[in-house]
Amino acid sequence: MARAQWPLLGDRPVIEIVLTFAQGGQRVTRTLLADTGAGSMQSKFEILVDENDCLLCGGKPSHSVSLAGAYTGTYPLYVIRVEIPLLGFDDDVPAIGLTTPPFGLDGLAGFRFINRFNYGNFGNPLAFGLET
Amino acid sequence: MPTMTTIQQLNRDLADKLVEEAKLNPQSPYVGKKVGIANGQVVVAANTWREVTRGLEQAEPDPAKTFCIDIGADYSTVEMIWEVF
Repeated sequence: MARAQWPLLGDRPVIEIVLTFAQGGQRVTRTLLADTGAGSMQSKFEILVDENDCLLCGGKPSHSVSLAGAYTGTYPLYVIRVEIPLLGFDDDVPAIGLTTPPFGLDGLAGFRFINRFNYGNFGNPLAFGLET
Repeated sequence: MPTMTTIQQLNRDLADKLVEEAKLNPQSPYVGKKVGIANGQVVVAANTWREVTRGLEQAEPDPAKTFCIDIGADYSTVEMIWEVF
């Protein structure tokens, strides 16, 4: 069992993922709002990140997805590699490419992604964590 | 030689065709699979996205000439993002 915890950001739950750029293999950390209200277990996407990140990571294009609510319209979908080193997590996941990520953040982790793990504050109300 | 736009359209057209075939024929080899398409041809059908991306990378180094589709997913539905801030 492994656990990763991150301090709340602006009093909101966040997680950190690592992406790998296709050219040169540079690894970059991205901070995503942990948003259980983003999508469902049936969603076609698991995370939402800047479309430039999807392209820089060599994301494989997929079918576009229509969103409503906080994000409205049709968005491109890519399959990209996502890692959370503290959990030993390394997988390819479907990611929506956003033109405008949420202010102060790099994107959102949707319910389908968060629900891959045990999640919560694990007794620390000032943090959010994922556990395998 | 097909242009990039043509290749992307070929990929999407084939993906749509596979989805329709899978709906009509439960015996389709693509039912329940994630499929990778490159240059208008199926190059991999697998159970995980990682298997699909690995297959595509071996077949075509340019991601723009590839396409992924989950045959079992309904891409026509609208997904709700309840809250950002």
